[in-house]
Amino acid sequence: MSTVDDPRKALEFLQGTLEVLILRSLQGTPNHAYGISQFLEQQSEYEFLVDNGSLYPALQRLLQRRWISSQWKKSPNGRRAKYYRLTPLGRTQLVAAKSKWMRFVEAMARVLAPQR
Amino acid sequence: MREWWSKIRQALHLRRGLDGDLSDEMQAHLDLMTAENIERGMAADVARAAARRAFGNLTRTQENAREAWQFPRLETILQDIRYGLRGIRRSPSFSAVVILTLALGIGANTAIFSVVYSVLLRPLPYPHGERLVWLGESTAKASGISITWINFEYWRHDNDSFENMAAFAAEDLTLTGRGDAVLTREWLVTSSFFQLTGARPALGRLFTDHDDTPGAAPTVVATADCWQRKLGGDPNVVGESVVLDGTSYQIIGILNPRFQFLTRPVDFFLPLGRTAGGSHKRSDHENIRAVGLLKPGVTLTQAQTNLDAIMQRLTLSDPGPEDDHRAFAIYFTEVMAGDVRTTLLVLMGAVGLVLIIACANVASLLLVRSTGRAREIAIRVAIGAGRARLARQLLTENIVIAAIGGMLGLLLAAWCLRALILIGPRDIPRLTEATLDVPVLLFAAVISVAVGLLAGLAPVLNAGRVDLTAALKEGSPTAGTGWRGQAFRSALVIAEIAITLMLAFASGLLVRSLIAAQHADTGFDPQNLLAIELQLPESRYRSDDSVREYYGQLSRNLRAEPGIQDVGLVNCPPGGGDCGDYWYSILEKPTPTRDDVPLSLFDTADASYFRAARMRLIAGRNFNESDRAGGSRVAVINERLARQEWSEPRLALGQHLKLGGPYMEGPALEIVGVVANVSQMGLDAEAMPTFYYAFSQRPSSAMVVTLRTNGDPAQWMNAARRQVSALDRNVPIQSLRTGEDWLGATLQRRRFATLLLGLFGGLAMLLAAVGIYGVLNYWVSARQREIAIRLAVGAQRSTILRWAGLHATRLAVLGIVLGAIGAWSAARWLESLVFGVTARNPLMMLLAGAAVIAIAALAASLPLWRATHTDAVRNLHEA
Repeated sequence: MSTVDDPRKALEFLQGTLEVLILRSLQGTPNHAYGISQFLEQQSEYEFLVDNGSLYPALQRLLQRRWISSQWKKSPNGRRAKYYRLTPLGRTQLVAAKSKWMRFVEAMARVLAPQR
Repeated sequence: MREWWSKIRQALHLRRGLDGDLSDEMQAHLDLMTAENIERGMAADVARAAARRAFGNLTRTQENAREAWQFPRLETILQDIRYGLRGIRRSPSFSAVVILTLALGIGANTAIFSVVYSVLLRPLPYPHGERLVWLGESTAKASGISITWINFEYWRHDNDSFENMAAFAAEDLTLTGRGDAVLTREWLVTSSFFQLTGARPALGRLFTDHDDTPGAAPTVVATADCWQRKLGGDPNVVGESVVLDGTSYQIIGILNPRFQFLTRPVDFFLPLGRTAGGSHKRSDHENIRAVGLLKPGVTLTQAQTNLDAIMQRLTLSDPGPEDDHRAFAIYFTEVMAGDVRTTLLVLMGAVGLVLIIACANVASLLLVRSTGRAREIAIRVAIGAGRARLARQLLTENIVIAAIGGMLGLLLAAWCLRALILIGPRDIPRLTEATLDVPVLLFAAVISVAVGLLAGLAPVLNAGRVDLTAALKEGSPTAGTGWRGQAFRSALVIAEIAITLMLAFASGLLVRSLIAAQHADTGFDPQNLLAIELQLPESRYRSDDSVREYYGQLSRNLRAEPGIQDVGLVNCPPGGGDCGDYWYSILEKPTPTRDDVPLSLFDTADASYFRAARMRLIAGRNFNESDRAGGSRVAVINERLARQEWSEPRLALGQHLKLGGPYMEGPALEIVGVVANVSQMGLDAEAMPTFYYAFSQRPSSAMVVTLRTNGDPAQWMNAARRQVSALDRNVPIQSLRTGEDWLGATLQRRRFATLLLGLFGGLAMLLAAVGIYGVLNYWVSARQREIAIRLAVGAQRSTILRWAGLHATRLAVLGIVLGAIGAWSAARWLESLVFGVTARNPLMMLLAGAAVIAIAALAASLPLWRATHTDAVRNLHEA
């Protein structure tokens, strides 16, 4: 197994990151599952490739925690799709998770690439 | 938490809806992707196929999403149970041993627990039985003596701790006018008694306050049993009258058949206040006791203080000879349990120890099996089973085994319980009501699961430590035989030996006590002695003269029977228990202080009783013809009383026994003789100070006629019946028993406890033997190859024997030392059950130790034999 990262391969999600990212993707407007995966891939400049096998269970878990809610709606191009939206609880969770992750990322960066 | 709640709601309502919804959603997802592909210029079918490819595994995604909503544990648990059942089928003999061991342990425990529950724990069958309190009076010397009617009246009206209070007294009356005279048993009760005990009439009504006042028309309530047996079961009997001791009572009601009060069988209830209500002296004792229902929240101590305050106040307003008397209160539940409590708790403890041994055996068996399964477990770990998951599976398997063992144990318990009730002494209250009811079933379930968890813990902890590479190598003999498992198994054997020693010691002590009790010096000769218990109906034998006349004539008639050597009269024969005690003092000695007035049992005997019973005369003389009514009053005392007061029994002669002590009225009796102590309270009880009244001077209508016969006394039973009936057919015979029966009955409880404890001791030995055998056998198996090599390089068989024997001996010695320490410190619990020997009995300890060593040696001999007879060549060749 190579220890050097292959830049052509998409990044794998760390534990718990996908859920935060889903919440973030719903911050602006409600979206359906496909839209969420599109959003994440585009925003991460295709560093993240969203696997539906992970996405759907993650959505179910968020529903169970009442952080998001779902509703069938018509999409702008007239197609029926299940739209997810943030609940107020989800919104506070997102704020908390976001600051936690930012601290984490900065700390990681400071350790891995110290600026002398 | 929130996730679980959502899952539960989901499981209840939406499961099916969710599946449809998910596939709809994914279909929409695919549609969106397909539409985009078409926009990019793909053909419709190509676009769809591309979308499918990009989406990934549709079914799998759906399953994953659905799983988020499920309780995975429940489903895997079912799988584990199926796996466990398969494991049992795969090794039937192993499973049979484990299940049987568990069934024995659980069954014995459940049976004993159901007795403990029924006798000690089950709520009383009265409304608010837990607040019912037994009330009596007490003095510095005696507690729980009878209350006088007046005191009871004051308590009932002046207390503020009780919701209600009722008094009761026992009485035996003769029922006449319905065929032969029969002796019936009565409770005299106040009208509040039925409210307190929640009794309901099956027919008619119960007492009202009106029935319960002095001068009221005599009324009676019959029990359902009496109604069926003695009144013909006729519903029209209500309103009729019955004649009891010559007084006619109107039957006003029949009691509900389920009603029971204490263990005494009863025929009629009479109103107590109608007769006792006339009493006005605070020292007028009529053998009345009371029950009270505490107000909610009032403690026993508060209630007692409350009643004591009333008693103290009464010493000022109505002083008398009993001003030192106080109230005595004890929970009714405790009265019901009585002195069986210790016996039952000791039995429960013993049977619990048996369960621990069973548990240890099962643990060591499971451990052996789990090392045998080390390869299987290693494979599971290798393909990714987590430690927690493995532990869960092993535990589930063990609990399945324990559950099967528990169910079998329940069957066993049901059978044992029937046997227990059959052989159990009649005087244990509520023993016959013991059943496998809900609390008992719950107990069985809890111990089954606990045993499953406990016994399964060792293999589970072991499973996490499997050395993968070692276990996976084919035929590796060291797989799973690490020192940890070995040490654990050794510890189990040590514990088993220790516990077995404790049980052997305890049951040995009880057997020794039983033998001691059976060979106790009874003080008289119970062989060839027949006892006729009589109670003359007071209506026909009102005067002392008529009583004297009757018993004198009966004695003469019986003496005339061929084969009857001697006839004597006694009020309370040996083994007959307590027929009353009273204060006394010795006139010739210094006056004791108020708190130090001694008590003595009293009894009544005629001139020929001591001779007929062959009681040894120690000093002075028996009663004789010169001790006449109206003459100088005399008494014979027993050796215990004599030695309590004088250094030499003969010093008692000519001195005077003042009844009632110095502070109460009572006659003074001249002591004319001292006789040997007899087993009055039973063979296994200490002799108590006793004095005998002369029957001629104080006749009693209730006497036991003792016949000294030429041979087996049972042969004279018919003659005795004939003579009693010939003299007056209205006199009922209360009982007709041999002297040995009277005494033997006193040992019923002891025999019961000894039998059970002996049984548990035996069971423990058997289980321990199996356990020792199993562990040593395994120890030898694991070293088979080492032994073979040693033999091959020239070791003697004796060396091997010494090596293996040393291992076994080390375990046994450790176990015996620990067990001896345990038994020694637990001996004080046995003190009240032991008779004739000390509880800390070194000889018994030696015997128990020897028995355990013998059992251990026997169990170890087979594995040791195997060790020394290892076929070195073949063993090494095969390996």
